[in-house]
Amino acid sequence: MKIATLVLAVAFLAMPLAASAEKAKTIDELAKMYDSSSCKSCHAEIYAQWEKSHHARPLMGVKDGLMMTPLAKKGGTAFSPDDPKKATVKNYPCFKCHLPQALTSAEDSVAVEYTEALLAGDKAKVAKLQITCITCHSDKAILHKRELGEPKKGVLYSTKAVASHPDGTFKSVEKSAVMSDSVYCGQCHGLGPNFDSDQVFQCANLYGSYLHNYVSGGGTESCQDCHMKKGDHLIAPNWNDQKGSEELLAKAISLDVHTLGYEWLKKAGTLVPKIVVGTKITTTAGHRIPDG
Amino acid sequence: MEVIAKYKDKDGKDVENKQDRQYHPQATNCRDTKMKYGAQWKVANIRDTSLQPGQAKKETIEFDLPEGVRSADVTVNLWYELTNPDQKFPIHSITKKVSLDK
Repeated sequence: MKIATLVLAVAFLAMPLAASAEKAKTIDELAKMYDSSSCKSCHAEIYAQWEKSHHARPLMGVKDGLMMTPLAKKGGTAFSPDDPKKATVKNYPCFKCHLPQALTSAEDSVAVEYTEALLAGDKAKVAKLQITCITCHSDKAILHKRELGEPKKGVLYSTKAVASHPDGTFKSVEKSAVMSDSVYCGQCHGLGPNFDSDQVFQCANLYGSYLHNYVSGGGTESCQDCHMKKGDHLIAPNWNDQKGSEELLAKAISLDVHTLGYEWLKKAGTLVPKIVVGTKITTTAGHRIPDG
Repeated sequence: MEVIAKYKDKDGKDVENKQDRQYHPQATNCRDTKMKYGAQWKVANIRDTSLQPGQAKKETIEFDLPEGVRSADVTVNLWYELTNPDQKFPIHSITKKVSLDK
């Protein structure tokens, strides 16, 4: 009995320590935990595309805007901490998509450091936090966890399996059937209000628009079909690229204009010179524009 | 999208009339009627004028011209706009000359 009690006591003490040992305490630790730079040596082209993508700078907004700064300010939003030193991961519901690993692998001390970095405008520090290869090819790769379990340690997931993957940490690649499907992107490129939060908020509606306005109209292409052609990991648009974004938009959106000039008989004896301009905008996109 | 009609009035002075349309989802916090910008404040869309897949967005925009004016140059500019930061991406610009004479 004494031994059993001792074992239970040790287990009770050890559990939180073990859990915390697996979590990052600092931004640097979290960045290191999800560092994908080793992927670059074999996947140079994909890595270069990703480096220019919004996934590589999910907390930087457009043009390094540090868009979450309002959340760091006391009273700035309903989520904001009263004291930066007491910030927790829960103060940043945006992490759900903008930094999913923060919810699984970061101590609240990371939120404290992040809050202080935002308040100080420390872009270099915030930029270390990225949605990396590991985020998508491991953490977010399985949607059927009751059937398939959690993503396995040491395994990456992709649209094709690779029996032997020459990497020190991820030694094999297994197939994840959902990774070629729009639902995979829909995990973050949202449905609408986040009702799972105690303070409902709404970010992207894109996947909702895809489901309810594109699929319902007979659309069959996936997000990947259009935004990841030939495996492109830029996953355009890249709003920091003015020219590239203009070209993408011009390709996806058409504008037709027709005009008519005539004299309108407003009332007897009163002709009003009038111009009528008809515009018609169409899009090839499988989702609402604008959205994200 | 902005639609601009330019013409000369009867005194030869350049006149420019403009109308615009905005296409985007519009959300509030559902506790008041003020539109919000930013996910941390938005709760749900209350209106959506955005471009939707498979649906053409059509407009008919009219300009009444002063008596005696018989023609105008019409320009339609379409762009994508990120309001934070203020950043515009021109998409299309189409100009047409419109005459009231046969």
